[in-house]
Amino acid sequence: MNSGINANDPTVVAAFRAALAHQGMIALAFFLLVALVWGGAKAWLPTGTSSAPGQGAQPSPGRPMEPAGLQLLRVGFGILWLFDGLLQAQPAMAVGLPSKVIEPTAASSPAWVQHLVNWAGASWSYHPIQAASAAVWIQVGIGIWLLVAPSGWWSRAAGLASVGWGLVVWVFGESFGGIFAPGLTWLFGAPGAALFYCAAGALIALPDAAWRTPRLGRAILAGMGAFLAGMALLQAWPGRGFWQGTAHGRPGTLASMTQSMAQTSQPHSIAALVRAFTSFDVTHGFAVNLVVVAALALIGVAFLTAWRPVLLPAVVALGVLCLAGWVLVQDMGIFGGLGTDPNSMIPVMLVTVGGYLALTRVPVPVTEPAAGPAARAAAEPGAGPVPVPAPTGGTTQGRWPEWMRPAALHRSVAAATIGSVASVGALGVVLLGAVPMAAAQANPNAAPILAQSLAGSVAPMNFPAKDFQLTDQRGHRVTLASLRGKVVLLTFLDPVCTSDCPLIAQEFKAAGQILGPNAQHVELVAVAANPVFYQLSYTRAFTRQEGMSQVPNWLFLTGPVAQLRQVWKNYAIAAEVEPAGSMVGHTEVAYVIDRAGHVREEFEDDPGPGTASTKASFAVLLANAARQYLGRS
Amino acid sequence: MTRRWRRPAPLLAAAALAAVTLAAGCGSRHTQAGSAVTFPPPPTLALSASASGTTWASLELGGSAADFNNFWQLFARRPGAATWQLVTPPGMASNGGFALAGPVGRSFLAAFRPSQNITYSPLVSSADNGAHWSTGQVAAGLAGVPDALATGPASSSLLALTAHGVELSRDGGSGWASLATPASLAATAAGRKCRPARFTATSFSPGGTPLAAAACTRPGATGIFAYSGDGWKAAGPTLPAALAGQPVTVLRLSTAGSHEVALLAVGSKRAATVVAGWTGRSGRWVLTPVLRTHGQRVLSASLGPDGSVGLVLSGSQGEIVTGPGASWRPLATLPADTQALALGPGTSIEALAGHQTKMTVWARGQGPAGWVRKQVVNVPIPYGSSG
Repeated sequence: MNSGINANDPTVVAAFRAALAHQGMIALAFFLLVALVWGGAKAWLPTGTSSAPGQGAQPSPGRPMEPAGLQLLRVGFGILWLFDGLLQAQPAMAVGLPSKVIEPTAASSPAWVQHLVNWAGASWSYHPIQAASAAVWIQVGIGIWLLVAPSGWWSRAAGLASVGWGLVVWVFGESFGGIFAPGLTWLFGAPGAALFYCAAGALIALPDAAWRTPRLGRAILAGMGAFLAGMALLQAWPGRGFWQGTAHGRPGTLASMTQSMAQTSQPHSIAALVRAFTSFDVTHGFAVNLVVVAALALIGVAFLTAWRPVLLPAVVALGVLCLAGWVLVQDMGIFGGLGTDPNSMIPVMLVTVGGYLALTRVPVPVTEPAAGPAARAAAEPGAGPVPVPAPTGGTTQGRWPEWMRPAALHRSVAAATIGSVASVGALGVVLLGAVPMAAAQANPNAAPILAQSLAGSVAPMNFPAKDFQLTDQRGHRVTLASLRGKVVLLTFLDPVCTSDCPLIAQEFKAAGQILGPNAQHVELVAVAANPVFYQLSYTRAFTRQEGMSQVPNWLFLTGPVAQLRQVWKNYAIAAEVEPAGSMVGHTEVAYVIDRAGHVREEFEDDPGPGTASTKASFAVLLANAARQYLGRS
Repeated sequence: MTRRWRRPAPLLAAAALAAVTLAAGCGSRHTQAGSAVTFPPPPTLALSASASGTTWASLELGGSAADFNNFWQLFARRPGAATWQLVTPPGMASNGGFALAGPVGRSFLAAFRPSQNITYSPLVSSADNGAHWSTGQVAAGLAGVPDALATGPASSSLLALTAHGVELSRDGGSGWASLATPASLAATAAGRKCRPARFTATSFSPGGTPLAAAACTRPGATGIFAYSGDGWKAAGPTLPAALAGQPVTVLRLSTAGSHEVALLAVGSKRAATVVAGWTGRSGRWVLTPVLRTHGQRVLSASLGPDGSVGLVLSGSQGEIVTGPGASWRPLATLPADTQALALGPGTSIEALAGHQTKMTVWARGQGPAGWVRKQVVNVPIPYGSSG
């Protein structure tokens, strides 16, 4: 599924950084534009109904305080999304996420999960820059959105956005949190951190009224209690290797996991802690698991009973357990490879404490002022546009409903709080990532950046291409001069090559397909580059093997060795016979020859890892090169 | 109206417990019911063969096959010569191994097996014992068994065993026609008695009749078939009663002089035995006594010019049988990395060992060690060239 090229490939990293910088400027400009529109509207139409700048998030008389539990979830997960977004901006993320995060996570899952996840990984690897920068902006946008929208319509919408993107991350990034894979355990992050982001988003999206009774807090804690009790049972399940510090002379399940975590690159002090815990677990595996099982079970039961005297100790105990698990087992989530989030322990604690606060700190009910929807919209911080009923029976004069009329819109804009304005900006940031990503995914062709990273810089040139006369795979004589009037993509292939040449041929074939009707003006030409296996039988067999017999503009040319050697010399191709079972070593290069028969570009076409995405990327590069010279004579 | 929320705890707990139980089950493994017949793996492509007085050997040198750093090499010991020479044909990567066919007129024919992204098999022939090679013809991708390519007494007749089945060329490899697929063979009367799972070898009889060998899913049936103008006929030996009812796989099928030679694996796993057989002028098969392998795998099976058979078994064990009417004889523990035995001329036996960049020839000698190092051939392995 991955592109196979180095995660720190300088070309891709530079392109990723440039895309982030470019989109960052757009995001800033969008924020400024929204602020200017808002400020302008307020100045143009002072209604007296808007709150003063800076007061948007302040409770006003008659306006209810934000429930403490809701505030914790909103701010906590806002910061988490923001942090995750910044982690997504790591240079290696564009190329590395499929190979270093998605693929290893899915490796132990059933085939159908791998199939689904690989599809997503392949889509990512076809458009690594767009996908990686989209992940950054979507997560940063959701984070900002949650932080700036304290309540009301915008806040609930931010919660829903968190649910939506959290599900995407949970399914494709975390392979359903590994719930279908063996070895599932709360200690390693089951059932996936992103699922808690979804749960928190759903809670934030609840109507305000839900947060104004203790029932919600009781439900959250009961849910967490059932979850923790279930995890305790899973942890205690025999035969899964958690009760043993060692098994058959090797570390048990937990110790082997922490052992591998300790070996990844990270600060020495953290690695030392993880190593020390591994040693402790190897010698006291049973005791460690007993403590974990007992703690999870007791905390779970405490939450299920909702008996107030035990709730606070249970929350504190869970906090201690989460902290220990986060540091000693999960390596804080961000160390040990290409970290994308701090793993599950912080989200678990946020949801739990949020539930506890929802149960124990229920806001005092306030009487809302009697007012119509427009007044409520003005009073509610972060409120979105609210329809204003028409004065007579809900109908409007003219074609537009009242609330869509310019005056009503102006009033809505002028009445908006700074929180709702910032929410619009945050939504813009989300869209800044989502829209280009959607557009890229709709494009079946890969981004040429992968091929550019492999091929290096294209050398522009302009000189007459040396003519040759050879025989194509059908046995017809072909001269380069006879192809004048068409753009020629010329390369040199070994017909018995076992590695690169078949991949290059597929790239040429795909380039022809990308060109569509224009392909009739382009010739895909290969010259045999093997002084031993060069006969017509081999160019035919190669053509058949690559499924190119029916490609009308494909020519695989050969001829007597002396003639071939002259062509190789004219185009600076080395083709050397190596001993002892080696294939012929030859230069891998592609020339773009314009319609007038001039060589205009030269680039290396070593296909690198030859994955689906790099092949597709080369095809786009070739097709783009052909298109460039189709319009010129 | 106020909506009353139910306390979800019992429901959630039950759901969580059910999920946990299911999740715990996710990690358990299920054993698959065994299939009806378990066939032994075919021998490796390491072997020696004789043609017109020259002994040819194919050995795997280099490094990891997974990294395409294994490079198969051809060696030849020319008539009258005491030493071996590296004669690997140039111009193509040999990671897939070679299929050695035999003489075509005055030339010796071999083929490159597919590897990585190439799916067909270029043919090469040498009229000067490997000093120079000629190219020009191709076959479809040859199967990974020792007898995937055969030459007939008529110099232009070739048989190839490919992924599709058995293919015949009457013009030295310019054109090929399908002679049998597993399905078409299974539809014949002879095939029905065998129920072939897959082809394992192809050869010509000394008289030029195309032969095909298969692994039969029907216990007791020996899957050797001869092609006449009106289709395929059973041409294998009838096994002794003691071996009746056991699955039979043909490991090798070739010709030596006026004999057809076959090597059969009978039974499976630890109960597996090996039997060699030869046809005489009457066409009747003469079988060796049973060789019990005690669970050892046949790694390599080489044929001498006079029909002798030499086996390399796992565990550095070697066995030879000199021809019709003879019995199996164990050899002294084989030298490390022995891949194949070279039989003849006469009674001489050599163990050919290959490791990384060296091919070592060991001659059978006297004394407790049993083997004497005779020659070391250094091979310039092109590591990394196929990556």
